[in-house]
Amino acid sequence: MTVKALYDYDFPSADRAEVFGDDQLVYVLWDGNPLLCSAACFRVPKHMPFGEFLSTVVHPWAASDPDFDPAAVHNWRLFDEAIDPEADRSLAELGVGHKALLLFSTH
Amino acid sequence: MTIELSKTARKKLPLKERYARLTRDLDWEPSYVAREELFPYTRYEGIKIHDWNGWQDPFRLTVDAYYKYQAEKDKRLYAVLDSFAQGQGHLTLSDASYLNAVKLFIQGVTPLEYAAHRHFAFLARHLEGPAPRFAALCQSIDELRHCQTQIHTISNYNKYYDGFHSWSKMYDRVWYLSVPKSLLDDAMSAGPFEFLISISFSFEYLLTNLLFVPFMSGASFNGDLPTMSFGFSAQSDESRDMTLGLEAIKFLLEQDDDTVPIIQDWIDKWFWRAYRMSGLVAGMMDYMLPKPVMAWNEAFELYFEDQMLGGLFPDLKYYGIKPPRHVDDAIAEKDKLSHDIYRILHNFSFAAALTTQTPSETHMAWLSEQYPQTFDRYYRPVWEKHRRIEASGGRVFFQGLPQLCQVCQVPMAFSEASDPTQICLRRSEFRSETFHTCSDGCKWIFDREPEKYVQAWLPVHQIHQGNCGGRSIPEVLAWYGIQDGDNGEYKGSPDQQAWASWHADETGPVK
Repeated sequence: MTVKALYDYDFPSADRAEVFGDDQLVYVLWDGNPLLCSAACFRVPKHMPFGEFLSTVVHPWAASDPDFDPAAVHNWRLFDEAIDPEADRSLAELGVGHKALLLFSTH
Repeated sequence: MTIELSKTARKKLPLKERYARLTRDLDWEPSYVAREELFPYTRYEGIKIHDWNGWQDPFRLTVDAYYKYQAEKDKRLYAVLDSFAQGQGHLTLSDASYLNAVKLFIQGVTPLEYAAHRHFAFLARHLEGPAPRFAALCQSIDELRHCQTQIHTISNYNKYYDGFHSWSKMYDRVWYLSVPKSLLDDAMSAGPFEFLISISFSFEYLLTNLLFVPFMSGASFNGDLPTMSFGFSAQSDESRDMTLGLEAIKFLLEQDDDTVPIIQDWIDKWFWRAYRMSGLVAGMMDYMLPKPVMAWNEAFELYFEDQMLGGLFPDLKYYGIKPPRHVDDAIAEKDKLSHDIYRILHNFSFAAALTTQTPSETHMAWLSEQYPQTFDRYYRPVWEKHRRIEASGGRVFFQGLPQLCQVCQVPMAFSEASDPTQICLRRSEFRSETFHTCSDGCKWIFDREPEKYVQAWLPVHQIHQGNCGGRSIPEVLAWYGIQDGDNGEYKGSPDQQAWASWHADETGPVK
């Protein structure tokens, strides 16, 4: 179904990929940790290596929980698919696109 | 001769005729332009009206009578406001932390009243029948009166407490206030009939007792006489506005059988939209009131399950209308909703114009009594962890920005009905872009009109685009109009310290 209107109803998405240039939005959920209420939303370069993404973006955020232990992070998923991301590959190479959701567990 | 005439003119007409003369008799058939040109918005939504005069006027109110009643109500309210201010009423609340509920109200509800005022004024011009136009006019003025009296009622607290100063700017900018704002914007950008179903029916009729009454009873239990009196003053308007909602839906359904599926769709959409927003009220009821009135789950059972599902929907069945599509999901999460929502506010109050705190032992005992199925098992452990962290001088805030639902704009923090430890994650693809939603209800709404919701002004994404004063938290807070002390943790906040110093010289335990 489409929007009923008196005119041709056609507007661009507010958060389409091109708005973010060489960057993109990525969501990260610490699955099973109720201390942090939801996934976080980050703006990061598409070509940032996964290792750098972890150390400069994900770990500082996850440290919101003082019990966070980076060594315990495992079971990465991209949406519903299990993935095993290598630290030197970029988000784009790993298939992590604009507005993708990454999940991890710690136990 | 002149005197004779004016005597005749002053002779009173019977009420019914007087009403007819002052309302319907003022309507006319257009002769210079076509009806479709005069009323351009009443056809494109697919609603067919065969007889605009079939609209029954539930109140038979005239403008002069309306103003007389409202003036009397205002007089009584302003007398209470004066005496509360003169009697230093701000000192006799249950606790300063109670005012977080009032901050949420003036930031999130008062601007809704104003937006509703604007759009009912639009309907007062654009509905085709004189009776619904007049009903919309009265409601437009009601909403403006509510907005004004709320501002006057609550402004007294702005002299003594933080967080009350920039609410209208905040409504347009701050992340959690985009929840009510986007809902009203969604309704105002729909056609006039959808607006009636969204605001008059789903909001004013279906859910008003859950959205509005909890603030007023919270005020009554916590010593906030002005807000309670405002509630009484608005209540008679609200019942008139509720009747408009019911009248609107029955009128539309009676006009044409083709209308039924359209209305059903709108009920399905707007129940969920309004219900999702009511989550903020659930969090307020269970966590912000030092003296709680009633738990959310109990209010939901009484005001929604008993009164609406048990009372209203059996009546609407006659017209072929079923209960809202995702109502079972709402019922299934009634023991979780308030906890999920307050956890969001607690994580993010560094960026809010209100403060939050971990519930005390006594408060948790009350919560576990109210929520025997869920609280001790799922939520108490989280709060106890917060307490441990706070005991050693810490305070957990979310060091980042949350993922938001594309439709309701609440952070994606709701849990699966089948498992409270799993976050509910839904997504849709549209024009090769991914859109995330927090529930089956919001996903259904997105998939129904993706062209509309792709335009959503999501506060988190806007910050990341650099449209909110900058991309650092201090820049964003400055752009929001949030000043130091408005936000963060309640314990140790300026409000809490002022309250303690005002009560320090009293005999008995310091509050």
